Amino acid sequence: MKEPVVADTLQISEADKEEQYVHAVYNEIAPHFSDTRFKPWPVIERYLLALPKGSLGADIGCGNGKYLGVRTGDIFMMGTDRSESLVEICRERNYECLVSDGLDLPYRDGAFDFAISIAVIHHFSSDDRRRAAIKELLRIVRPGGTVLVFVWAMEQNGRRKFEEGTQDVLVPWVIPAGSKIETKDKVFHRYYHLFCKGELESLFQQVGGNTLEETGYDRDNWFVITRKE
Amino acid sequence: MRLLTHNMLKCHVKNCTDPDKQYPLRFKDVQIEQIEYEPNEEFLVRMLPRLDWTALVKTAKDLNIAIPDSVPEDPASDQEFLQKLHTIIMETHVTEGSMVCDGCSHEYKITKGIANMLLAEHEI
Repeated sequence: MKEPVVADTLQISEADKEEQYVHAVYNEIAPHFSDTRFKPWPVIERYLLALPKGSLGADIGCGNGKYLGVRTGDIFMMGTDRSESLVEICRERNYECLVSDGLDLPYRDGAFDFAISIAVIHHFSSDDRRRAAIKELLRIVRPGGTVLVFVWAMEQNGRRKFEEGTQDVLVPWVIPAGSKIETKDKVFHRYYHLFCKGELESLFQQVGGNTLEETGYDRDNWFVITRKE
Repeated sequence: MRLLTHNMLKCHVKNCTDPDKQYPLRFKDVQIEQIEYEPNEEFLVRMLPRLDWTALVKTAKDLNIAIPDSVPEDPASDQEFLQKLHTIIMETHVTEGSMVCDGCSHEYKITKGIANMLLAEHEI
Protein backbone atom coordinates (compact mmCIF):
# COMPACT_ATOMS: atom_id res chain seq x y z
CA MET A 1 0.00 0.00 0.00
CA LYS A 2 1.20 3.49 -0.80
CA GLU A 3 1.95 5.51 2.30
CA PRO A 4 0.53 9.07 2.33
CA VAL A 5 2.48 12.26 2.83
CA VAL A 6 1.17 13.98 5.96
CA ALA A 7 1.30 17.60 7.11
CA ASP A 8 3.87 18.30 9.78
CA THR A 9 2.00 19.19 12.97
CA LEU A 10 4.70 18.02 15.37
CA GLN A 11 4.94 20.15 18.51
CA ILE A 12 8.64 19.72 19.14
CA SER A 13 11.67 21.98 18.81
CA GLU A 14 13.27 22.51 15.40
CA ALA A 15 16.46 20.74 16.48
CA ASP A 16 14.53 17.76 17.89
CA LYS A 17 12.45 17.53 14.73
CA GLU A 18 15.58 17.32 12.58
CA GLU A 19 17.16 14.85 15.00
CA GLN A 20 14.16 12.48 15.01
CA TYR A 21 12.71 13.00 11.53
CA VAL A 22 15.90 13.51 9.52
CA HIS A 23 19.15 12.35 11.18
CA ALA A 24 17.83 9.24 12.92
CA VAL A 25 15.88 8.19 9.83
CA TYR A 26 18.84 8.51 7.45
CA ASN A 27 20.95 6.46 9.84
CA GLU A 28 18.27 3.74 9.77
CA ILE A 29 17.60 3.74 6.04
CA ALA A 30 21.18 4.42 4.87
CA PRO A 31 21.86 1.12 3.03
CA HIS A 32 18.46 1.03 1.30
CA PHE A 33 18.62 4.78 0.54
CA SER A 34 22.09 4.35 -0.92
CA ASP A 35 20.97 1.47 -3.16
CA THR A 36 18.42 3.81 -4.75
CA ARG A 37 20.81 6.72 -5.31
CA PHE A 38 23.32 6.21 -8.08
CA LYS A 39 22.52 8.29 -11.15
CA PRO A 40 23.84 11.89 -11.10
CA TRP A 41 21.30 14.53 -12.11
CA PRO A 42 22.20 16.28 -15.41
CA VAL A 43 22.38 19.90 -14.11
CA ILE A 44 24.75 18.84 -11.35
CA GLU A 45 26.89 16.70 -13.61
CA ARG A 46 27.16 19.56 -16.11
CA TYR A 47 28.15 21.99 -13.32
CA LEU A 48 30.86 19.66 -11.99
CA LEU A 49 32.27 18.88 -15.45
CA ALA A 50 32.52 22.61 -16.30
CA LEU A 51 34.58 23.56 -13.23
CA PRO A 52 38.15 24.79 -13.85
CA LYS A 53 40.90 22.21 -13.38
CA GLY A 54 42.38 22.23 -9.90
CA SER A 55 39.11 23.21 -8.20
CA LEU A 56 38.61 22.16 -4.60
CA GLY A 57 35.01 21.55 -3.59
CA ALA A 58 32.77 20.59 -0.70
CA ASP A 59 29.62 18.48 -0.96
CA ILE A 60 27.54 19.36 2.10
CA GLY A 61 25.05 16.59 2.84
CA CYS A 62 26.80 14.27 0.43
CA GLY A 63 24.68 11.21 1.24
CA ASN A 64 26.20 8.09 -0.29
CA GLY A 65 28.79 10.12 -2.21
CA LYS A 66 26.96 10.04 -5.53
CA TYR A 67 28.59 13.32 -6.62
CA LEU A 68 32.03 12.78 -5.08
CA GLY A 69 33.06 10.49 -7.91
CA VAL A 70 31.58 12.33 -10.91
CA ARG A 71 34.90 14.01 -11.66
CA THR A 72 38.17 12.92 -10.10
CA GLY A 73 41.83 13.56 -10.84
CA ASP A 74 41.88 17.19 -11.92
CA ILE A 75 39.48 18.45 -9.22
CA PHE A 76 39.00 17.23 -5.65
CA MET A 77 35.84 17.07 -3.58
CA MET A 78 35.33 16.36 0.09
CA GLY A 79 31.96 15.38 1.47
CA THR A 80 30.27 15.92 4.79
CA ASP A 81 27.06 14.39 6.03
CA ARG A 82 25.16 14.45 9.32
CA SER A 83 24.47 10.72 9.04
CA GLU A 84 27.34 8.54 10.22
CA SER A 85 25.89 5.55 8.36
CA LEU A 86 25.99 7.40 5.04
CA VAL A 87 29.52 8.68 5.69
CA GLU A 88 30.61 5.09 6.29
CA ILE A 89 29.19 4.14 2.88
CA CYS A 90 31.24 6.99 1.31
CA ARG A 91 34.34 5.79 3.11
CA GLU A 92 33.88 2.23 1.81
CA ARG A 93 33.84 3.74 -1.67
CA ASN A 94 37.15 5.49 -0.89
CA TYR A 95 35.61 8.97 -0.95
CA GLU A 96 36.90 11.70 1.33
CA CYS A 97 34.16 12.35 3.83
CA LEU A 98 33.49 13.41 7.42
CA VAL A 99 30.58 13.74 9.84
CA SER A 100 29.37 17.27 10.38
CA ASP A 101 26.29 19.46 10.66
CA GLY A 102 25.38 21.76 7.79
CA LEU A 103 24.46 24.57 10.18
CA ASP A 104 27.94 24.68 11.60
CA LEU A 105 30.67 23.50 9.24
CA PRO A 106 34.19 22.78 10.50
CA TYR A 107 35.97 24.38 7.53
CA ARG A 108 37.93 27.64 7.50
CA ASP A 109 36.48 30.64 5.68
CA GLY A 110 37.01 30.62 1.92
CA ALA A 111 38.63 27.18 1.93
CA PHE A 112 36.87 25.99 -1.24
CA ASP A 113 36.46 27.04 -4.86
CA PHE A 114 32.92 25.68 -4.88
CA ALA A 115 30.32 23.97 -2.72
CA ILE A 116 27.26 21.91 -3.59
CA SER A 117 24.36 20.91 -1.38
CA ILE A 118 21.92 18.59 -3.09
CA ALA A 119 18.52 17.80 -1.55
CA VAL A 120 19.63 18.86 1.92
CA ILE A 121 18.41 22.37 2.82
CA HIS A 122 14.75 21.24 2.62
CA HIS A 123 15.44 19.15 5.75
CA PHE A 124 16.01 22.25 7.92
CA SER A 125 12.80 23.07 9.72
CA SER A 126 12.64 26.88 9.81
CA ASP A 127 13.46 29.84 7.56
CA ASP A 128 16.18 30.91 10.01
CA ARG A 129 17.86 27.53 9.89
CA ARG A 130 17.62 27.32 6.09
CA ARG A 131 19.22 30.78 5.85
CA ALA A 132 21.93 29.71 8.32
CA ALA A 133 22.73 26.66 6.17
CA ILE A 134 23.06 28.86 3.07
CA LYS A 135 25.25 31.31 5.00
CA GLU A 136 27.60 28.46 5.92
CA LEU A 137 27.86 27.31 2.28
CA LEU A 138 28.82 30.84 1.23
CA ARG A 139 31.25 31.24 4.14
CA ILE A 140 33.39 28.22 3.20
CA VAL A 141 33.71 29.29 -0.46
CA ARG A 142 36.31 31.88 -1.54
CA PRO A 143 35.15 35.20 -3.05
CA GLY A 144 34.49 34.45 -6.73
CA GLY A 145 33.67 30.81 -5.99
CA THR A 146 30.28 29.26 -6.73
CA VAL A 147 27.58 27.43 -4.78
CA LEU A 148 24.99 25.02 -6.23
CA VAL A 149 21.89 24.10 -4.24
CA PHE A 150 18.97 21.76 -5.06
CA VAL A 151 15.81 21.50 -2.95
CA TRP A 152 12.49 19.71 -3.35
CA ALA A 153 9.78 21.76 -5.04
CA MET A 154 6.20 22.19 -3.89
CA GLU A 155 5.36 22.10 -7.59
CA GLN A 156 5.95 18.52 -8.69
CA ASN A 157 5.73 17.17 -12.22
CA GLY A 158 6.66 13.64 -11.29
CA ARG A 159 4.90 10.90 -9.39
CA ARG A 160 4.74 12.74 -6.04
CA LYS A 161 1.84 15.12 -5.43
CA PHE A 162 1.70 17.51 -2.52
CA GLU A 163 -1.32 19.27 -1.09
CA GLU A 164 -1.22 22.96 -1.94
CA GLY A 165 -0.48 25.27 0.97
CA THR A 166 1.11 22.60 3.13
CA GLN A 167 4.80 23.30 2.80
CA ASP A 168 6.02 21.41 5.88
CA VAL A 169 5.43 17.70 5.53
CA LEU A 170 6.45 14.25 6.70
CA VAL A 171 7.31 12.07 3.71
CA PRO A 172 7.32 8.30 4.11
CA TRP A 173 10.29 6.18 3.18
CA VAL A 174 9.29 2.55 2.77
CA ILE A 175 11.75 -0.30 2.93
CA PRO A 176 9.76 -2.99 1.15
CA ALA A 177 9.11 -6.47 2.46
CA GLY A 178 11.36 -9.12 1.00
CA SER A 179 14.40 -6.87 0.84
CA LYS A 180 17.50 -8.24 2.47
CA ILE A 181 16.90 -6.06 5.56
CA GLU A 182 13.18 -6.35 6.39
CA THR A 183 10.62 -9.17 6.28
CA LYS A 184 7.64 -6.78 6.10
CA ASP A 185 7.24 -3.20 4.87
CA LYS A 186 8.93 -0.80 7.22
CA VAL A 187 7.95 2.87 7.07
CA PHE A 188 10.02 5.85 8.20
CA HIS A 189 9.00 9.50 7.99
CA ARG A 190 11.34 12.26 6.95
CA TYR A 191 10.65 15.94 7.52
CA TYR A 192 10.69 18.16 4.41
CA HIS A 193 10.08 21.83 3.78
CA LEU A 194 8.79 22.03 0.22
CA PHE A 195 10.07 25.10 -1.62
CA CYS A 196 7.70 27.27 -3.66
CA LYS A 197 8.81 28.94 -6.89
CA GLY A 198 11.20 31.80 -6.09
CA GLU A 199 11.68 30.85 -2.44
CA LEU A 200 15.22 29.48 -2.75
CA GLU A 201 16.43 32.54 -4.71
CA SER A 202 14.82 34.74 -2.11
CA LEU A 203 16.75 33.04 0.73
CA PHE A 204 20.05 33.61 -1.12
CA GLN A 205 19.12 37.27 -1.63
CA GLN A 206 18.24 37.67 2.05
CA VAL A 207 21.59 36.20 3.08
CA GLY A 208 23.36 38.51 0.59
CA GLY A 209 26.99 38.65 -0.53
CA ASN A 210 26.27 36.56 -3.64
CA THR A 211 25.07 37.06 -7.21
CA LEU A 212 22.67 34.51 -8.70
CA GLU A 213 24.02 33.05 -11.96
CA GLU A 214 21.43 30.45 -12.85
CA THR A 215 18.15 29.35 -11.34
CA GLY A 216 15.75 26.73 -12.52
CA TYR A 217 13.56 23.68 -12.07
CA ASP A 218 14.74 20.15 -12.74
CA ARG A 219 13.35 16.77 -11.72
CA ASP A 220 10.86 18.12 -9.18
CA ASN A 221 13.50 20.35 -7.59
CA TRP A 222 14.31 24.05 -7.60
CA PHE A 223 17.98 24.89 -8.02
CA VAL A 224 20.30 27.88 -7.74
CA ILE A 225 23.86 28.46 -8.91
CA THR A 226 25.30 31.58 -7.32
CA ARG A 227 28.66 33.33 -7.13
CA LYS A 228 30.11 34.65 -3.89
CA GLU A 229 31.02 38.35 -4.10
CA MET B 1 41.23 11.41 6.28
CA ARG B 2 43.78 13.07 4.04
CA LEU B 3 46.10 15.86 5.17
CA LEU B 4 44.54 18.00 2.41
CA THR B 5 41.24 17.78 4.29
CA HIS B 6 42.92 18.54 7.62
CA ASN B 7 44.38 21.73 6.10
CA MET B 8 40.81 23.01 5.56
CA LEU B 9 39.53 22.18 9.08
CA LYS B 10 39.34 24.56 12.00
CA CYS B 11 37.81 24.36 15.45
CA HIS B 12 34.23 25.62 15.27
CA VAL B 13 33.23 25.55 18.93
CA LYS B 14 31.28 28.68 19.88
CA ASN B 15 33.48 31.29 21.61
CA CYS B 16 36.63 29.53 20.39
CA THR B 17 37.70 32.31 18.06
CA ASP B 18 41.45 32.92 18.56
CA PRO B 19 42.68 32.44 14.97
CA ASP B 20 46.17 31.49 16.17
CA LYS B 21 44.84 28.63 18.29
CA GLN B 22 41.75 27.23 16.54
CA TYR B 23 43.80 26.40 13.43
CA PRO B 24 45.42 24.08 12.56
CA LEU B 25 44.00 21.32 14.75
CA ARG B 26 46.76 19.29 16.41
CA PHE B 27 46.84 15.54 15.79
CA LYS B 28 46.96 13.31 18.85
CA ASP B 29 47.68 9.56 19.11
CA VAL B 30 47.18 9.02 15.40
CA GLN B 31 47.64 6.06 13.11
CA ILE B 32 48.80 6.91 9.61
CA GLU B 33 48.33 4.95 6.42
CA GLN B 34 49.77 5.63 2.97
CA ILE B 35 47.26 4.90 0.23
CA GLU B 36 48.35 5.21 -3.39
CA TYR B 37 46.51 7.81 -5.48
CA GLU B 38 47.00 8.77 -9.14
CA PRO B 39 49.09 11.99 -9.21
CA ASN B 40 47.95 14.98 -11.27
CA GLU B 41 50.58 17.72 -11.49
CA GLU B 42 48.27 20.42 -12.78
CA PHE B 43 45.88 19.76 -9.91
CA LEU B 44 48.72 19.96 -7.37
CA VAL B 45 50.05 23.27 -8.72
CA ARG B 46 46.57 24.77 -8.68
CA MET B 47 45.99 23.50 -5.14
CA LEU B 48 48.91 25.51 -3.74
CA PRO B 49 46.98 28.80 -3.33
CA ARG B 50 44.22 26.87 -1.50
CA LEU B 51 46.68 25.44 1.04
CA ASP B 52 47.79 27.16 4.22
CA TRP B 53 51.46 26.24 3.86
CA THR B 54 52.49 27.25 7.39
CA ALA B 55 49.78 25.01 8.84
CA LEU B 56 50.75 22.14 6.54
CA VAL B 57 54.42 22.40 7.56
CA LYS B 58 53.52 22.46 11.26
CA THR B 59 51.24 19.42 10.89
CA ALA B 60 53.69 17.41 8.76
CA LYS B 61 56.51 18.05 11.24
CA ASP B 62 54.25 16.95 14.13
CA LEU B 63 53.78 13.67 12.27
CA ASN B 64 57.51 13.37 11.42
CA ILE B 65 56.88 13.78 7.72
CA ALA B 66 59.61 15.59 5.77
CA ILE B 67 58.35 18.75 4.06
CA PRO B 68 60.05 21.84 2.52
CA ASP B 69 59.62 24.95 4.71
CA SER B 70 58.52 27.01 1.75
CA VAL B 71 57.03 26.51 -1.69
CA PRO B 72 59.69 26.74 -4.45
CA GLU B 73 59.55 29.75 -6.77
CA ASP B 74 58.44 27.71 -9.77
CA PRO B 75 56.62 24.69 -8.33
CA ALA B 76 55.21 23.62 -11.72
CA SER B 77 58.68 22.66 -12.95
CA ASP B 78 59.87 21.09 -9.71
CA GLN B 79 58.95 17.42 -10.09
CA GLU B 80 60.55 16.38 -6.85
CA PHE B 81 58.55 18.97 -4.92
CA LEU B 82 55.27 17.99 -6.58
CA GLN B 83 55.86 14.32 -5.86
CA LYS B 84 56.47 15.13 -2.20
CA LEU B 85 53.41 17.37 -2.07
CA HIS B 86 51.29 14.62 -3.63
CA THR B 87 52.48 12.07 -1.08
CA ILE B 88 51.75 14.45 1.80
CA ILE B 89 48.36 15.92 0.93
CA MET B 90 46.79 13.19 -1.23
CA GLU B 91 48.28 9.87 -0.08
CA THR B 92 48.79 10.32 3.65
CA HIS B 93 45.66 9.29 5.54
CA VAL B 94 44.98 9.53 9.26
CA THR B 95 42.90 6.48 10.10
CA GLU B 96 42.61 6.61 13.90
CA GLY B 97 43.23 9.12 16.66
CA SER B 98 42.00 12.63 17.25
CA MET B 99 42.46 16.31 16.47
CA VAL B 100 42.77 18.71 19.38
CA CYS B 101 42.09 22.45 19.41
CA ASP B 102 44.83 24.43 21.18
CA GLY B 103 42.32 27.17 21.97
CA CYS B 104 39.50 25.30 23.76
CA SER B 105 40.95 21.75 24.04
CA HIS B 106 38.01 20.22 22.16
CA GLU B 107 38.95 16.80 20.81
CA TYR B 108 37.58 15.66 17.46
CA LYS B 109 37.77 11.87 17.09
CA ILE B 110 38.88 10.05 13.97
CA THR B 111 37.69 6.45 13.62
CA LYS B 112 38.27 4.20 10.60
CA GLY B 113 39.41 7.21 8.61
CA ILE B 114 36.29 9.24 9.42
CA ALA B 115 36.54 12.44 11.44
CA ASN B 116 33.54 13.30 13.60
CA MET B 117 33.23 17.08 13.69
CA LEU B 118 29.87 17.24 15.49
CA LEU B 119 29.72 19.41 18.60
CA ALA B 120 27.74 19.06 21.81
CA GLU B 121 24.72 21.35 22.09
CA HIS B 122 26.43 23.79 24.49
CA GLU B 123 29.35 24.20 22.05
CA ILE B 124 27.24 25.36 19.09
